[in-house]
Amino acid sequence: MALVDKIGQSLTGAPLVLTNVDALIDWSRGQSLWAMPMGTACCAMELIAASFSKFDFDRLGSFPRPDPRHTDVMIVAGTITRKMAPAVKRLWEQMPEPKYCIAMGNCAVSGGIFYYDTYSVVRGVDEIIPVDVYLSGCPPRPEALQDAVLQLRELIRSRSIAQGREYDRVYTLPLPGGERAGTTDPGRAEAADVLAGRRPKTGGDE
Amino acid sequence: MSGLLWGMLFGLLAGTAIALAALFGVWWERKVAGRIQMRFGPQEAGPAGLLQTLADTIKLVLKEDITPRLADKRLFRVAPLVVFTPVAMSLAVIPFAKGWAPLDTSVGVLFFLAVPSISVLGILLGGWASGNSYATLGGMRGAAQMVSYEVPRTLAVLSVVVLAGTLRPTLLLGRFQWWWLIATFAGFVVYLISSIAEMNRGPFDLAEAESELVAGYFADYSGIRWAVFMMTEYGSVLAASLFGAATFLGGGWPFGGLLGVVALLVKAVLITTLIIWVKWTLPRMRADQLMRLCWTVLTPIALVQLLIVGAVVPWL
Amino acid sequence: MNIDELREHLCATYPDLCPLFSIEFGDGVLIVDRGRYWSAAKDLRDLGFDRLGMITAVDGIDDFEIVARLTAREIGAHIFLKTHVPRDEPAIETLTDLWPAADWQEREVYDMFGISFRGHPDMRRILLPDDWVGHPLRKDYRDERIIRRPDYI
Repeated sequence: MALVDKIGQSLTGAPLVLTNVDALIDWSRGQSLWAMPMGTACCAMELIAASFSKFDFDRLGSFPRPDPRHTDVMIVAGTITRKMAPAVKRLWEQMPEPKYCIAMGNCAVSGGIFYYDTYSVVRGVDEIIPVDVYLSGCPPRPEALQDAVLQLRELIRSRSIAQGREYDRVYTLPLPGGERAGTTDPGRAEAADVLAGRRPKTGGDE
Repeated sequence: MSGLLWGMLFGLLAGTAIALAALFGVWWERKVAGRIQMRFGPQEAGPAGLLQTLADTIKLVLKEDITPRLADKRLFRVAPLVVFTPVAMSLAVIPFAKGWAPLDTSVGVLFFLAVPSISVLGILLGGWASGNSYATLGGMRGAAQMVSYEVPRTLAVLSVVVLAGTLRPTLLLGRFQWWWLIATFAGFVVYLISSIAEMNRGPFDLAEAESELVAGYFADYSGIRWAVFMMTEYGSVLAASLFGAATFLGGGWPFGGLLGVVALLVKAVLITTLIIWVKWTLPRMRADQLMRLCWTVLTPIALVQLLIVGAVVPWL
Repeated sequence: MNIDELREHLCATYPDLCPLFSIEFGDGVLIVDRGRYWSAAKDLRDLGFDRLGMITAVDGIDDFEIVARLTAREIGAHIFLKTHVPRDEPAIETLTDLWPAADWQEREVYDMFGISFRGHPDMRRILLPDDWVGHPLRKDYRDERIIRRPDYI
């Protein structure tokens, strides 16, 4: 919200710091993440299981709405084929800002089991829409999906309504490229470098 | 002048009351629905999840406001208010105590039954103005349903009015006697079912059927505009519960004074819980089954109830 | 009804189909010529095979082999009806007028193999987008979007 910065500049000559307002807004956004369940395949079963009795999304404040215009987060659960891709894109664009995306399951993260030898699968939903949380697993357990929602909350809380400002939040899982990554696999180390920006991305599939 | 001031103050209070009532209604619904489904409802926000609806509201206010390109812009913006305002108005005539209602008119019952029908217009407007044929269909279905179910509802309430001999709600409350509970029981059931259908809720929510019309007439509303539709729904749940408790269950009976007001609120919460229970237990009815239920089952039962009450009255 | 009873039942009613009947992997198979395909299917339906389970095809480098699986619910038997279609002219009659279930099955065969079915009410792609070029399950299908799995994994 550039308006906030403009007001701050005009009133005091310095940018406004809005920690409490940010905390309230980020808390409310994280606490009521209404999900659009883009469940196309097996991960949708785990998504449904995570919403129901034993694991329960509603206690995190999140419940599924079928209409993209009422939702904040699109949980892409399942394989996205080339035929489905325009539909996913259209529903993503129908969601009002601020919106987030959780790519659930290996197929949504990278094409998963269908990465090789297939002509019809989109290799990772981030080819179509911007993803905030990648959740791998085939399928990920419902607890993992709920952890993804908690990670998304941390991501939301790191944001501010004033432009260009971010708060430091602690992500409890090691991110690729972080000091806790600890891998000797050359392929994964290269991937970690690319993701952290230490090495440019070369070539590619498309 | 002081009348105008008092009116404005009351309007503010009423608006706050409705907002709080909707907040409570949403929280209660999510908790009860959770318990019915063997899970907890919202737990994290505040003690027992009480601040959950507050978080929802703040989030919805700060959402992007989308107006579809094909929508009729003025009607699109007006529709939520047209739906919400009559329901808010109808809360004014509910008798909270034996001699007191916020608006004490001699035709209070008629006011309560007739004014919320204006919301039907808002639903049609909302469906049409979305510029989306599915929303229009949803709006038409919802309007047809709401208009039909007013008939058994009015007939059911009429039976209590005949027993009491007045349309003034405060007086109706004062004349309540214990055997009315038995005499008008069928009417109470008809009133409940018709109210649920009036609000497009529970097993009668075909107009907003999630798996069929993807939210029907409010499919294209986002953010706070949609929140106004939701507030209307919970506001009318509470209005119907309060009115049902006041007319059929005798309001504060057998207590009087402040304890009576508390008793009325408790009865209203019980009726609200019943309405929520019905929604989360029963599967959705088809449109023709819905209409058939209204005209071939509920209306005759309400008429028979009226007949019974009319036969009893000369012996009063 | 086991295989031998099925063979006897078939031979008794349609003696000209008898030499075409064989047993593969424990299932009864009827392999007919292209011209005899539709009439053999009709004969089998008159024999009591009232349910079509699937129609699929196999790309056999030189030709396509169309496989249909039929079930007779009353007598409890199933049989495979196979025929061969040349690669340069992949067309054969439809079975839609005998069993309505053949509709989508044949659309899938068309989508994946390019075999068109004469007389089909709605011959178009069913699984892939309508503007897809090529028929993926053919052995000579090439697509630059496919990434081959490396051998060392």
